[in-house]
Amino acid sequence: MFKAEVKSETLKGVVNIISTLVDEVKFTVGSEGISLKAVDPAHVAMIELRMEAGAFESFSASDTEIGVDLDKIKDVLKLAGSGDVISMEQDEDHGRLVFRIGNITRRMNLVDTSSMSDPKVPQLDIQSSILVSAGELQKGIRAAETVSDHIALTADADFFELSCEGDTDSANLRLEASMLERLDVPGRVRSLFPLDYFSNLIKAVPADTKVEIRLDNDYPVKIKFPLADGNGGVDYLLAPRIESD
Amino acid sequence: MGVNLSSVVEATEIEMSDLCGKKVAVDAYNAIYQFLSTIRQRDGYPLADSQGRVTSHLSGILYRTANLIEAGIEPVYVFDGKPHVMKADTLRERRDRREKAEEEWMEAVEAGDMERAFTKAQQSSRMTDEVRDTSIELLGLMGVPIVMAPSDGEAQSAHMCAVGEVHAAASQDYDSILFGSPRLVRNLTSSGRRKIPGRNAYRDVRTEIIESGELFGTLGVTREQLVDVAILMGTDFNPGIKGIGPKRGLDLIRKHGDIESALAHVGGEIPGYQEVRDIFLRGEYVEGSDLSVGGLDFDGVVGMLTERDFSAARVEAALKRIEEARKTNRSKSCQRSLSDWF
Repeated sequence: MFKAEVKSETLKGVVNIISTLVDEVKFTVGSEGISLKAVDPAHVAMIELRMEAGAFESFSASDTEIGVDLDKIKDVLKLAGSGDVISMEQDEDHGRLVFRIGNITRRMNLVDTSSMSDPKVPQLDIQSSILVSAGELQKGIRAAETVSDHIALTADADFFELSCEGDTDSANLRLEASMLERLDVPGRVRSLFPLDYFSNLIKAVPADTKVEIRLDNDYPVKIKFPLADGNGGVDYLLAPRIESD
Repeated sequence: MGVNLSSVVEATEIEMSDLCGKKVAVDAYNAIYQFLSTIRQRDGYPLADSQGRVTSHLSGILYRTANLIEAGIEPVYVFDGKPHVMKADTLRERRDRREKAEEEWMEAVEAGDMERAFTKAQQSSRMTDEVRDTSIELLGLMGVPIVMAPSDGEAQSAHMCAVGEVHAAASQDYDSILFGSPRLVRNLTSSGRRKIPGRNAYRDVRTEIIESGELFGTLGVTREQLVDVAILMGTDFNPGIKGIGPKRGLDLIRKHGDIESALAHVGGEIPGYQEVRDIFLRGEYVEGSDLSVGGLDFDGVVGMLTERDFSAARVEAALKRIEEARKTNRSKSCQRSLSDWF
C-alpha cells in the first residue's frame, strides 16, 4: 500500500535527478519512506536515492514495489504549478498509480517490476572528501563544455579543481580551501570522468545544495547530497575514464 | 580450422572494455567465415542483394567493427596470403566438405528440415574472391588498417603481437599460440548469444584471453614442445597420428621431450614433421606495415552498401558510432564500468 502527498517541486527535483540515468525505475516502498537503486545500461553510473516520510506532506505505506516510467511522471508534473501539492495513491487492483492535482485525476499504468533486479553496489573505500555548492560545480561544467567531453577532478590539501583539455584548448575552475565548505584531502587525488554524466547530474541539483565529492586516483567518484530539506538524499557513483598507456 | 587445443587451454573471460585503447590483430579470414556462417536467414540463405550478391560478410564487418571501435579497440585486419603447399590436403578436404554440405543443405530445404538446412548452409560458407575483395574494399573505406600476410595470417599476427605492434591476436583458432603470439583473444568479433548447433538452445559467448607464457607454464611445456604436441595430433599441414588428442599428445611430449622420442615410443611416422615445425616456429611475415587508422569515407561506405540494398539509415547510424568513438578514442582514455569495482 502506498499513499502520499508531495510538493510538486520536490517530486520534480527527484525525477530530474533519476531521469539523467534511467527511463524506468523501481521504487522500494516501506513505512519509513521510499528508496531506489538504479544503474545506467552501460554500468557507468549508479544512483541510490532515499526519500523519508518527512519529505512528503503526508505519507502512509506498507512494504511494496512501484515501477514507473519517468517520462509519464514528467507529463504529470506538467499539470502542476509551483506550490501545488500532488497526491499519489497506488491502485493495487489495477496496477496503477493515481495522481490528483487540484481537480485533475491522472491514472498511470505501472511498469512490471518482476524483471527489474537491484543492481550490485561496488565496494569502495574513499578517503578524500570535499564539500562544495552545486552552483560552483555548475560554473566549472559550463567552462568545460566548450572544450572537451571529459572532465578531470583534482584535489589536494589546499585546493579542489575541475579541469579539462581539448585538442588545442583547455579550461579549469580552481577553488581554494577558503572557498569550499570543507576540504579534507590527505594527499593529491585525481580522476577523469565523462562530462555528460557529471554535467547532467550536477545541473539537476539546485545551485545552493551542498554537494559532497569523495575522490581518489583513477577511481569512481561518490557524489552525495541531501534532498527535500534533508529528509532524503542521493548517493551517486560515477566510474572514471582511465588514461591508457 | 587449426589445432583444437580447447580441452587443455584455460582462458580468462574479459570485458571488451579491458581491451580499450589497444590495437588488436584480427584474423580476417576467420572473422569473415564467422560472419558468412552466422549471419544468415532462417532457411540458411546468406544475406544477399537483389542481384544475388552475398552481403553477410559486409554486414558483419560494418556492425562488429563499429562495436569494437566503440569499445575503444583499434582492429587491424590481417588477411591470409598464399597458403603453404603443405596445407593443400586440408584445403581440398575443406572444399569437399563444403560441397557436400551444400548438397545436404539443398536436400534439407526440400525435406523441409529447416534446423538441418541452417546447419548445413553454415558449413557450406565459402570465401570467394568477391567476398575477399569486397571485404577489403569496405575496410579500406572505413579507414580500418589492413595487413596482407605473405602466407598464414596467424603467423603475421603473431609476429606483430610479439614485437608489440598490437596488443593481441584475435582468432577462434589456437594456432596463433603455436605461431608465437604472446596473447590470443577469442570470441572478440562474436561475443553475445550464439545458437548451439543442432539444438534449439543458446549459450552466452564471452570474450576471452589466453596469455601464452602462462599457458606454457600451466601445461609444463615450451612453445616448441606444444608445436610438437600439435603435430602429433595433426595440424592444417599434416595428418598426425591416429588416436592422439591434446591430452595424450601432451603426456607423450612431457614424458619424452620431443616428437622424435615420442614417435620412437608409440611407433608411427609423420612425414615432413620438420617442415611443419618450421611453418609454426619460423612463420613468414612482413615488417613495417602501416597500422595507422585512416579517415572514414562516410559517403563511400554508404554508397557501396546502399548499392547492395543496405538501409542507408542503419549504415549511417553505424558510421556515426564509429565517428563519435574515434573522436573519443583520440583522447587516449577509456571509460571504465562500475563492475570493475565489484
